[in-house]
Amino acid sequence: MKTMFRAALTGLVLAGAAGFAAQAFPIKAGQGSYSDPGITDDTIKIGLFAPLSGAALAYGEDPLNAARMWYDMINGMGGIWGRKVELVIEDDRCNANDLVAAVKKLVEQDKVFMLNGGSCSAAAVAAQEYVTRAKIPYMMLNASGDGALYPPTDYIFGAASISQRAAGGTTVDFASRHLKGKKIGYINHDDAYGAWNLETAQFTAKESGATLSVESINPNITDVTAPMLKIRAANPDVLILTTYARPATLIVKKAHELGMKMPIVLAVTGTANLKQLVENVGTKDAFKNFYVQDVINDTPTGPKQKWVIDMYKKRYPEMAAKPDHPTPYMPYGIPSAQTVTNALLLAGPNPTREGVARIMRSLTFESGVMAGLISYGETDRAGQESSIFLKFDGDKQDLQPGTYVSRWVYKP
Amino acid sequence: MDWQLIWLFLQQGVASGLVTGSIYALLAVAIVIIFKTTDAPNFAAGELFMAAAYVALYLLVFLALPFIAVVPLSLGVAFIAAALFYRIVLQKIGSSAAVTVNVVIATLGLSFVLKGAVRKTGVGDVPRSFPSIFGNDTITIGQAVLTLQDIGILALAVVSMTIFFLFFNFTRTGRAMRAVGMNPKAAVLVGINLRRTRMLIWGLSGLLSSLAALLIAPKILMTADMGSVVILGFAAAIIGGFTSLPGAVLGGLIIGIAENLVGLFISSRAISVAPFVAIMLVLVLRPQGLLGGKVAVKKV
Repeated sequence: MKTMFRAALTGLVLAGAAGFAAQAFPIKAGQGSYSDPGITDDTIKIGLFAPLSGAALAYGEDPLNAARMWYDMINGMGGIWGRKVELVIEDDRCNANDLVAAVKKLVEQDKVFMLNGGSCSAAAVAAQEYVTRAKIPYMMLNASGDGALYPPTDYIFGAASISQRAAGGTTVDFASRHLKGKKIGYINHDDAYGAWNLETAQFTAKESGATLSVESINPNITDVTAPMLKIRAANPDVLILTTYARPATLIVKKAHELGMKMPIVLAVTGTANLKQLVENVGTKDAFKNFYVQDVINDTPTGPKQKWVIDMYKKRYPEMAAKPDHPTPYMPYGIPSAQTVTNALLLAGPNPTREGVARIMRSLTFESGVMAGLISYGETDRAGQESSIFLKFDGDKQDLQPGTYVSRWVYKP
Repeated sequence: MDWQLIWLFLQQGVASGLVTGSIYALLAVAIVIIFKTTDAPNFAAGELFMAAAYVALYLLVFLALPFIAVVPLSLGVAFIAAALFYRIVLQKIGSSAAVTVNVVIATLGLSFVLKGAVRKTGVGDVPRSFPSIFGNDTITIGQAVLTLQDIGILALAVVSMTIFFLFFNFTRTGRAMRAVGMNPKAAVLVGINLRRTRMLIWGLSGLLSSLAALLIAPKILMTADMGSVVILGFAAAIIGGFTSLPGAVLGGLIIGIAENLVGLFISSRAISVAPFVAIMLVLVLRPQGLLGGKVAVKKV
C-alpha cells in the first residue's frame, strides 16, 4: 500500500503539485454545474475499453483489469476531489471499426468525461479523427499508437507501455551497447507498426555507429526461410525481432534450424507469453543466447513489481488462479490509469475536458511500475520511452544491467 | 551478391518452396474438387483446415490420444463434418434459385461459424504449436537445410496426391465424381447418384483440408486465423486452372517456390505479393490457367 501511495504521490510532486497533493484525495469538490458531460458533484465518468474478446484478448484484458483496480483503489481512498470514478467498460475487439463505435457510444450515449482505452495501435489510431474533433481527452490503455501520437494533437496521449519508436530505438541501443553489436540484423513488420520502430532503430544505429540489415515481413507470414537466409548471409552480431509472437516464434525456430548462434533480442511486442513461446519453438536450446525487452521496472516477479501483483491477486483472485495470470502485459494498465487520475487531480475541483488535456500535455510522474518516468511534453505524447532487458534461457529471466532510454525526439 | 550465395539461395528457396507449395497444392485440390462439382468456390476451406487442426490438437493434447489414433480420427471428423454440411445445408440450397450465390454465402457462413466456435473455446487465442510427427532434426541436401518434418510433409503430400489421382482415374466412385464435375445431368442419366456423389466430394475435400492441416500445423503455428493460408490455395488453383487437379498441384508448387525466390532475390516485403502477381500474370497471359484447357463458353 505504501508503494501504491508513493507511486501516486511521487507523480504529483513531479508534476509540481505537491502543495495540495497530500490532501487532494479526500477533499469534497464544490457544488455546481459543469460545462462538460460526465461529471457531477459525486462522480466522474470514464470510458474504459480494450479487446475483451477475440484473438487479441491477451493484449487487453489484463491491462484493463489493472486500470480498473487502480481506479477502484482511488475510489477506496475517497475518489478524486471527493468524486468517485465511475467506469463504463466496452469491448473494442482490437478492431478499428469496433473501437471507433465503442468510443462514439461512450461519448454520445454514456456521456463520459474522458476516455481511457485501446490495446491495439491500428485500432486506437482510428479514433484520432473523432476524438480530436470532439475535443475529448483520450489516454490509450496499453497501445503504442504512434500514428496518433506524432505529430502531436491536443487531446490524444498514449504509449503508457512504450511507443514503437522507443521500442525500436532502445533494442538497438541495447544490442549496440550491451551486446557490442556493430552489424545488427533487424526483422520488423512491413506495416506502419514496423515502420515506426524501424525509424528510431535506424536513428539509434546511426548514432551508435552500427549498421542495420533489415528484413520487413508480413505479420501473417507462414514461411520465414527467405528473410532468415538473408539475415544469415548478412552475418550480423545480433538479431533483433520486433514482430508479434507468432512470426517471432517461426523466426526463432528457423534460426535454430539454420544453426544461427548470434544473440537474439525479442522486443516487447512478442513477449506476451514466454512459456508458450518456448513450447512453440519446441526446444530450450534455441534460447541459449536470447534476450527479451521489457518495459517494467523489474523482472515480472521482482520485488519492485510485487505491489502490483499483490494488488491484482487481491482484486481478482479467480483470474490470478488461472494459468499464466497475471499476464506480462497486466502492469501496463496502471500507468495509463495513473495518467488519468493524476491529470484529474491536478485539474482541480472543477475540471473541464480542456483543462485536463492541458495538464496532460505537461504531466510527468513516476509510476512505480514502469522502466522510466511517464512523461509528456509539448511535442511528445508518448508516456513511456524506456526499456530494461532480461536474459531468458527458456526458463529463468535474469535482469541485465541498465535502463535504456530512447534518444529519439520528434521534430515538427 | 556472389554466385555462391545465389546458388545457395536457389537451392534453399526451391527446397523450402516445394515443402510449403505441397501444402498449397493439397488445399488447392480441396478447393478445385468442390468447384468442379458445384461451380462455386468453397470459402470455408480455410476454416475447415483450421478447425481440423484444432480437432487434432484436442485429441492429441487434451485427450492425450496417440498419433496413430489422432490422424484417422481427425481425418474422419473432417470428412463427416464436411459431408454433413453438404447434406444438411447445401442440398437444401440446391433446390432454390441463384444456387451458386447461395452456396458461396453458405460457405462464408460456415467459415464464420467455425472460426467463432474455435475462438469460443479460448484455445485459439494464443499461437500454439502442434507436435511434429517427424521431429525437428535437420538434414542437408546439397546446401539446403530441411527438417525431417519438411521431408515428411513433402513425401506425404506427394503420396496423398498420387492416391487421389489414382482414385479419380481408376475407381468407379472417382470416375463418378469426375462425371458429375463434367456434366451433372448426363451423370444422373447414366445412373450416378448426384447427391451422394457430391456429399462424398465434400467429405473428401474436408479430408484433404484436414490432411494439409495435420502436415503444416507444426510449421506455421496454430491460431484461429491460420485458415487465411487458404488464400494461397485459391491462388494455386487459379494459376493451375480452376478446373484442373494437376494444375492445382502445379500451381501450389509454383507459388511455394515463387514466394521463397521473390523473398530471397527481390525483397521479404514482396513475399505476400508474389502469389497475386503470379495470378495476374497467368490471367493476362493464359486466362484459363496453366493446365485449364480451352476457355469454354457456356450456352444459355
